[in-house]
Amino acid sequence: MPVGQQQTSGASVCSTPWGTIGVFLLPSLLIYAAFTAYPAVRTIWNSFHKVLPRADEAVGLANYAELMRDDIFWRSVRNTITWACTSPLIEVSIALLLALALYAKVPGARFFRIAWFTPVLMSYVVVGILWLWIYNFDWGPVNVALRALGLASWAKAWLGDPKTALPSLIFVTSWMWVGFNMVVLLAALHSLPREVLEAAELDNCGWGGKLVYVILPLLRATLLNLVVLSFIGKMKIFDLVWITTKGNPLWATETVSTYVYKRAFEWTTFDLGYPSTIAALWFVIVLAAVLALTWLFRLREKLEY
Amino acid sequence: MAAAKRAALLLVLCLYTAFAAGPFVWAAMLSLRTTTEIHRNHFAPPNPAHWDKFAEAWFTSNYGVYFTNSTQVVVSAVVILTLVGSMAAHCLARYRFRLNRLIYFVLFSTIIFPPQITIISLFQILVQYGLYNSKLGLTLVYVAIQLPLTIYILESFFARIPSDLFDAARIDGYSDWEIFWRVSLPIALPAVATTVILNFILLWNEFLYAVVLITEEANRTLPLGIQRFIGDTQEDVGMIATGLMIAIIPVVVIYAFFSERLIQGMTAGAVK
Repeated sequence: MPVGQQQTSGASVCSTPWGTIGVFLLPSLLIYAAFTAYPAVRTIWNSFHKVLPRADEAVGLANYAELMRDDIFWRSVRNTITWACTSPLIEVSIALLLALALYAKVPGARFFRIAWFTPVLMSYVVVGILWLWIYNFDWGPVNVALRALGLASWAKAWLGDPKTALPSLIFVTSWMWVGFNMVVLLAALHSLPREVLEAAELDNCGWGGKLVYVILPLLRATLLNLVVLSFIGKMKIFDLVWITTKGNPLWATETVSTYVYKRAFEWTTFDLGYPSTIAALWFVIVLAAVLALTWLFRLREKLEY
Repeated sequence: MAAAKRAALLLVLCLYTAFAAGPFVWAAMLSLRTTTEIHRNHFAPPNPAHWDKFAEAWFTSNYGVYFTNSTQVVVSAVVILTLVGSMAAHCLARYRFRLNRLIYFVLFSTIIFPPQITIISLFQILVQYGLYNSKLGLTLVYVAIQLPLTIYILESFFARIPSDLFDAARIDGYSDWEIFWRVSLPIALPAVATTVILNFILLWNEFLYAVVLITEEANRTLPLGIQRFIGDTQEDVGMIATGLMIAIIPVVVIYAFFSERLIQGMTAGAVK
């Protein structure tokens, strides 16, 4: 029994006030059970069935077997994982540079911080349409700029070419999220112990040395959190793709989320079982990846200290 | 030398600012110009500014309906979330009991769930209960998806309130509910405000659940309305831009007043 508890009041020491706890927690637990837990379990149940409008039919592992042979699914997995692995690195490294720039006491730092954070407040729908225009072949600013610079041969329909479509979308998410990462890193920088930084300065170790040997190790926890956060976000990505390319051209931008949606609500197979199988498998993969990442980072922490 | 370096740094920062904010400035300009004007020159300033396009979007392109729907769904979801979430957070932070950490962990861990794991079954369940294609159904789902984050932010704040305060309140004869309503909640008001603003913006922008659970024109929220509109009139750039601005303006207004609080909320999960 913790000490603080004994001091609170005579009654609550002897018995846990389950009634009160129930009243406070019940609404949340009900909502959680009805709209999160039950649907999740039902999806997993669905994944072993053919779920048609009239009746369900148990098919065992047939859906999973089919999934293993589904080339479009594996293509979407490859795209999503490419996205989830490149984005965090791009976002966090650019954000770190910008945060260091602002940390160096530039005039107007507050303004920059607020301006850079803006893209993340807009919905993917708005962002998607804006970038559809920015990448437009005839009058999008990207191609207009290229033509103005005399690089007309580089101008292309960025989202229409299977080679450039996915990188172009990854670029959009980076544009969106760099500001967010920057703000988090800036806050972390400002909370660093001053003495350590001053000591590094006294040791005359220069900007590069200070960055590599002092600042980065101190920011490690924040950096890793941001990497994991960005990774999770990209593993879920749907809206941006749906608004801009719908997975085209030739599945070049198909993600797992868009493929699930297509199989469940667009293709006229009417079967909800197969998309549930994709969702269930993807759920396990995301969970495993996040656990592995956190475990990996923990492990390194132990090795270092 | 130092001054030159500083100037170069400032230049880079300004360029990045143009890159980050430019698309919005451009969209704002487009929103005040007609499509014919736009096709003559895509980058000219809005001269003259066609403010009447906003009225046109609102009344003839149905943005008024979308805006009202979004407001209804998001405001009711945020009200429920704030009440239900702070009750749970208060309970988890204040009372020590078996299962406390387990319940916290179960609620919190759903943050990493990919939405697909629930969305197909949610579609089935809402159809069964007659909540499919209704604003009520979407509102309840919105409460469910934002609940983990809300409880997470509030719990960490409630847990920092010194327990002496509660002892004093109890000695003064406050009931458990009064302690929550008249002590905890008022003290936690800054954190509550953060979650309100954060939930409002995240749900205002929400698209995936809405696109699955709403099909009827009369129930569409703003993101759905915009999507339908680009599907129907791909070429009407000017009008689409006006629609985008209608969706953006509430967010910009909130950001203008509460930028620090909002940044705090958005980054709450990332800094430990």
